[in-house]
Amino acid sequence: MSAESGRLEDLPVDAVHLGAALFVLAVLLLYSPLFVQPPGGTFTVLEVVVLFLLYAMILVGLNLQFGHAGLVNFGPVAFFAVGGYTAAMVTAENPFGAVGLGLAWPVGIVAAVLAAAALGVVLGVSTLRLRDDFLAIVTLAVAEIIYDLIIAFRDYTGGSLGLNNVPRPIAGTTSAGDGAVLVSTIIVFGALAVLFYGVFRRLSASPYGRVLRAIRADEQVTETLGKRVFRYKLAVFVYGAAVAGLAGALLVFYNGAASAGFFTINVTVIVWIGMLIGGAGNDRGVIGGLAIIMGFQLFTRFLNDQIPFVTQDQFASLRLVLVGLLLMVIIKYRPEGIWGNADELGVDS
Amino acid sequence: MTLLAVEGVRRSFGSLVAVEGVSFGIEAGEIVGMIGPNGAGKTTTFNCISSVIDSDAGTVRFDGADVTGVPPYALARRGMVRTFQQTRELETVTVADNMLLAAPEHPGERAWHAIGRTSASAQREAAARERAMELLEVFDIAGMVEEYAGNLSGGQRKLLELARSLMLDPKLLMLDEPFAGVNPSLTDEIVGHIEALNDEGMTLLIIEHELETLTDLVDRLIVLADGEVLATGPPAEIMDNEEVIDAYLGG
Amino acid sequence: MEIPLAQEVIFGLVIGSYIALGAIGFTLVYGLVNMINFAHGEFITIGAFVGYLAVAEVGLPLPVAVFVALGGTAVVGWGIARITFEPMNDAGAVPLLLMSIGLGLVLRNGIRVIAGPDRRSIRTDVATYRFDDLGFFVTSQQLFIIGLTLASVLVLHLFLSRTMLGVAMRATADNEDLALVSGVDTRRVRNAVWLAASGLAGVAGVMLGTAQAASPTVGFGQLLLIITAAILGGAGSPYGAVAGSYLLGIGITVSVVFLPESLTSLNSTMAFVVLIVVLLLRPGGLVNREVRTS
Repeated sequence: MSAESGRLEDLPVDAVHLGAALFVLAVLLLYSPLFVQPPGGTFTVLEVVVLFLLYAMILVGLNLQFGHAGLVNFGPVAFFAVGGYTAAMVTAENPFGAVGLGLAWPVGIVAAVLAAAALGVVLGVSTLRLRDDFLAIVTLAVAEIIYDLIIAFRDYTGGSLGLNNVPRPIAGTTSAGDGAVLVSTIIVFGALAVLFYGVFRRLSASPYGRVLRAIRADEQVTETLGKRVFRYKLAVFVYGAAVAGLAGALLVFYNGAASAGFFTINVTVIVWIGMLIGGAGNDRGVIGGLAIIMGFQLFTRFLNDQIPFVTQDQFASLRLVLVGLLLMVIIKYRPEGIWGNADELGVDS
Repeated sequence: MTLLAVEGVRRSFGSLVAVEGVSFGIEAGEIVGMIGPNGAGKTTTFNCISSVIDSDAGTVRFDGADVTGVPPYALARRGMVRTFQQTRELETVTVADNMLLAAPEHPGERAWHAIGRTSASAQREAAARERAMELLEVFDIAGMVEEYAGNLSGGQRKLLELARSLMLDPKLLMLDEPFAGVNPSLTDEIVGHIEALNDEGMTLLIIEHELETLTDLVDRLIVLADGEVLATGPPAEIMDNEEVIDAYLGG
Repeated sequence: MEIPLAQEVIFGLVIGSYIALGAIGFTLVYGLVNMINFAHGEFITIGAFVGYLAVAEVGLPLPVAVFVALGGTAVVGWGIARITFEPMNDAGAVPLLLMSIGLGLVLRNGIRVIAGPDRRSIRTDVATYRFDDLGFFVTSQQLFIIGLTLASVLVLHLFLSRTMLGVAMRATADNEDLALVSGVDTRRVRNAVWLAASGLAGVAGVMLGTAQAASPTVGFGQLLLIITAAILGGAGSPYGAVAGSYLLGIGITVSVVFLPESLTSLNSTMAFVVLIVVLLLRPGGLVNREVRTS
C-alpha cells in the first residue's frame, strides 16, 4: 500500500489534474459551436453511462466511508435524493403542483450540496457512535424515510408524479439535438467524476487515509494513539454526503425533472454491489466493480428483447435474482472482491 | 514532581463495583508496578485513567493539569500513552503504517493537506518514517516493515505495540500486562527496553499479574485487591506484607 | 368517517400481531446467531405462499394450513440458513448482513419470477361482531390473528422456560462464551433458532396472507417494522420484541387519528422515525441492551 502510494505521489499528474483539465475542456466545448453527434442506437448505452458517472461520484464517497473507514452507510441514496430534490425545488419554474423557486441553476447546485451535507452532519453526529450493524439499519431507515417524505409531501415535491420545469443548463448550450446533449453531458460529468475520484484518492492515499484504515481496524486503539476518531468519521460521512448531493443535482439538471423513481433503494444496492465486486477499499477497483454491475444490467436489458416467452416483469425479477446471487457468491467466496486486498480488509478468502 | 495523581476513582458495571475509590500518585522518572489478583480492578483503573471508559467518580491529574474525562486522543497528545492487555496492533494495517499512524502532529492527517499534497505533510511523513525505522531497528522488527501486522508472531506484536507507543514520545507509558504470554527470553528483552526507556527519563506504570518479573524492575508496587488499593511501597516491603500475601493466596 | 379510538386500538393489535411473530424470530436470530437478517421478511413471504397453497390448492382448512406453514417454513428457512449463513458464522456482523441482503434479493425476486407480481388472498369466511354501544367492531379474522399470536407466544414461552433446549438458548443469548464453557451445544442451539424463527415467520405469513394477500413483497414490506419492534424491545429479547410490536402496531394506527389526512400514508414512516429515536436515545430498547461501540 505505502509503496504504491509512494509511487503515485511521485507522478506529476494524477486524477485531480486530469479531471480539472477535462472539466476546462468540457466547458470550452460547451460554449463553442462544436458538438459531437453520437451514432443512432447508442442512446440507451449513453444514458447508462450518464448514470454510471453519477453513481461513480456516490461510490467514491461510499468507498471512503466503508472501504477505508469501515462505516456501514446503507443510505447513500438519501443524500443523492436530497441533493436532487433540493436542486429541483430551488430552480424549477412553475412546476405543476410543487415548489419551484425559479432561481439560477448554480444556486441550485450550491443548495443541493449544502442540504445533503447538512443531512450528513445531522445524521452523522447522531448515529456514528452506533455499532456498525445498527448504523446500517439507521442509514437504511433514513433513506426510506426520505423516500416516503418525497412521496407524501406532494404539494412540495410533486409526489410520485415528480417535479418538472427544472432548467437543463447543458441542453441549453446546443441546439444540435438530444444526442449532442448526451455526449456533452457525459464529458462534463466524466470530468467531474474523475476530479472527485482524484480528490478522494488523494485522501485515501495520504496519512489521512491511513487514519481511516486504522479506525476500521480498531477505533479504540486509534483514539489512544491521539486521533480524534469521531471527527474523522463525521468528516468522511459529510464529504460523501456532499458529493452524493452534487450528483443528485447533476441528475435533475440533466433530466430537467426530479422524479422519485430515480432515488429508490436500487441506487444504494447497485453502488454497494459495485463496491463489493470491485473490492472495498481499492479506489480503482470499486469503479471497475460498478462498471461490471451496470454493464451487466445493460447487457441483460438488450437480452430481454431477444428472449421470447419471458415477460418483462419476470425478466426484471430474474435479473435481480442474479444480482442477489452475485452478491452472495462474492461475500462467500471472495469477500475482498476482485481487486481488493484480503489482508487489508481482514477477511479470509 | 508528581506526574500522575489519581484520586478516589470509582467505577461500577451494573451492580458490580470494579474499582472503589482508588488513589495513588506517580513521581516523574519512576517505574511503578500495579499488581493484584484477577478481578482486582487493574485494567479498569487503567481504562478510567486513560478515559477509555468513564469513571463514576474521582479525579485524575496529569503533568500538573486536571485531565479527568479528557478524551483518550487528547491524553495521548499530552504524553499519556497506554497499551492494551491483549495486544491490539492494527492487524489489517502494515507494520510501517502502524508506526506512522502514531506519529503526532502530522499535517497530512488533515483533509486539506492530504488533498493539496502539501510539502509540510511530505516532510513530516519523511521525518516520521525515519523515526519509525529507528525504533523498529531498536526493537529488532525492522525486517517486517511492509508486513501486515496480522502476520506477525505474538512476541513481535508485543514489540510492535511498544515501539508504536514510543512514536508518541510519551511522558508516561502505561503498559497493561506487557509480559503476558511472552517467553522468558523475550521477557528479558522487554525488561531491557523498559529499563533503557526509564534511564532516558520516561515514567512507566506497568500492570502485571505475576509478581516475579516486576520485583526487580520496578521502584514501587501498588497492590490492588477487590477494587481498592491494598498497599503501596517498595517491592521488598510489599513481599513481606501479610495483607498482600493473604489477598494473593485468598484470591 | 370518524373512527373511534377503541377501533384503532383493535387495528393496532392486529398490526402488532403480524409484526410480533416476525420480530420474535428476527430478535432470536439477532441474539443467538449475532446477525441482522435482512432476508427475514422473505421467510414470512414463504409462509404466506405455503399457507395460500395449502388452503387454495390443497383445500385444507385454515387452522391446518397454519401448521403446514409453520412446519414447511421452519424446514425451508432452516435449510436456507444452513447453506448460506452457517458456513460463515464467524465472518462477523457486516458480511452476514450483506449475505442476507443478497439472499433476500434472490428469494424475493425468485418468488416473483415463479408466482408473478399478483396478490393472492387466502380466502376465509369472516364474521363481524359489532359492539355499537362501545363504538367498535371486531371480525373473526382479527380475533383469529390476535389469538394465534398469543398462542404462539405462549408456546414459545413454555419452550424457552421449560425445555432444556430453550433454557440453553436463553443462556447462549446472555453469554455465548459462558454457555460454551458450561457445555451448551451452540450448534444445536443455532439450529433450533433457525427452525423457531422461520416457523414463526411462516405463521406470520399465513396471517398476512389471510388479512392482506400472499405476494412476493408481503414479508419485505414488514421488515423495517419488524426491525423497529425488535430494537424497541431490546434487540435479542423475544419478550421485548412482543411488547415492542404491540406498542408499534397501536402507535401506527392511533397516530392516524392525529395525523392530517394527507399525511396518513406516513404512519409507517413514523415507525422508522421511532426506530431512529430509540436507537439514539435508548439504544438498549425497553430493556437495556448494549448496542453502542463504547
